[in-house]
Amino acid sequence: MRLLEYESKRILEKYRIPLPAGRLVALGEILKIDKPVMLKAQIPIGGRGKAGGILEASDTEDARQKISHLLQSNLRGYIPKSVYMEEKKAVKQEFFMGVTYDTVAKAPLAIFSPAGGIDIEELAQKQPELVCKEHFTVASRLPLHRAREIVAETGISGKLLLGLSPLLSKLADVFLDYDATVVEINPLGLMDDGQLVALDCHMEIDDDAVFRHADIASMEKDTGRVEGEKRMSDFERKASEINDLDHRGVAGRMIEFDGNLGLIIGGGGASLTAFDAIRAHGGRPANYCEIGGNPSVLKVKELTKLILSKPGVNKIAVIMNVVSNTRVDLVARGIVKGILESGKNPARTVAVFRIPGAWEEEGFKILSKYGIPIQGRTVSIDEAARIATKNSD
Amino acid sequence: MSSASEFIRVDVNMTTCVGIARCGGCVRVCPVSIFQKNGDAPAVVEKNLDECILCELCIQTCKPEAITIRKLYEA
Repeated sequence: MRLLEYESKRILEKYRIPLPAGRLVALGEILKIDKPVMLKAQIPIGGRGKAGGILEASDTEDARQKISHLLQSNLRGYIPKSVYMEEKKAVKQEFFMGVTYDTVAKAPLAIFSPAGGIDIEELAQKQPELVCKEHFTVASRLPLHRAREIVAETGISGKLLLGLSPLLSKLADVFLDYDATVVEINPLGLMDDGQLVALDCHMEIDDDAVFRHADIASMEKDTGRVEGEKRMSDFERKASEINDLDHRGVAGRMIEFDGNLGLIIGGGGASLTAFDAIRAHGGRPANYCEIGGNPSVLKVKELTKLILSKPGVNKIAVIMNVVSNTRVDLVARGIVKGILESGKNPARTVAVFRIPGAWEEEGFKILSKYGIPIQGRTVSIDEAARIATKNSD
Repeated sequence: MSSASEFIRVDVNMTTCVGIARCGGCVRVCPVSIFQKNGDAPAVVEKNLDECILCELCIQTCKPEAITIRKLYEA
């Protein structure tokens, strides 16, 4: 269960982790603001700032309008039910600290970085020296001296080290006490006066442990805290309608992303493998979409047209495992026809076509006619993802 | 009679076709509804042509051998 920011911050407050002064505000509430504030839509997703869910307001009227705007906005499928208003802080430096569970090592993992406010996974790949990760045990927890070692590992010393270490130790306590799967403070801000303040917090509780925490369980039962589950985007809904066009196969289980490479990929593990491989190679998927079970040409065609209608998407990667119950030639027909009906050139639009298996000879003849390179079963899904990423721009 | 598709062309030779009343096999066997009745003659449903799975059941069932299928993606 993912907590909203203000719910997470209430927990941090119990552990005396410093926070900016803030409170929930209701629509129509009479406000008096004499200094700049941050207005934050309370929705359970990351990247709220980029989605337009965090706004700055300079005076009362500005705040009133922006609160009203936020409460009517659709932010990646969520309509906020509440807005958290917080004093705006002048930040000198931002840090990242988090605790999660490493399922491979089967142990909690503390993470600290002196470069906060950004995607920590991306940073760990590009500049691993800026991210320090250390396992600890549930029994020994994360005592202050170990937290200090982790922070010091990134080159921080002096008063800053003394200020940061107890916060990391306390965050580990929050993680363990609340049966969390993730607790992150990102960013943790250093103010001009040397004070450290948790500017944002992401906390997720193990669903199977919610019953152990009365306060969390009551939040879970509160159906009004979040506007339903993530709702389908128009794009996802149209894909679902395509899937319902006829009974043949699956072609339309879609999740929308904001990248530029359209995906039509094989169901089950192969599609997840292909999606992850494209991301690992630096590709930016515009969608996740499973096909399988020998979908009709019509469904594949309509799906192709839908994906290509998305602004910024000019290339499609078609990747499946070796298929036995889906015909390569019928998928190839759907892809080519969809591209042609979108007014595009198949040879320039298909970033990769890697479906070996049933009726592949016929499928390859179709691809050849339209100048689409053929990737057979000797090309791995990972290699196909690399080719797709290379051709995606 | 002929029909246009990006991938498949199906022709029914109406001079040799004996009509639905005497045969009608193509309308009956096609799993993707490429043929439909048009009076006593079989008509090709153009919008379904792309779905042709090349099973050739229509060819096998057509007694006067009036049906031909061409793959337009082959040279």
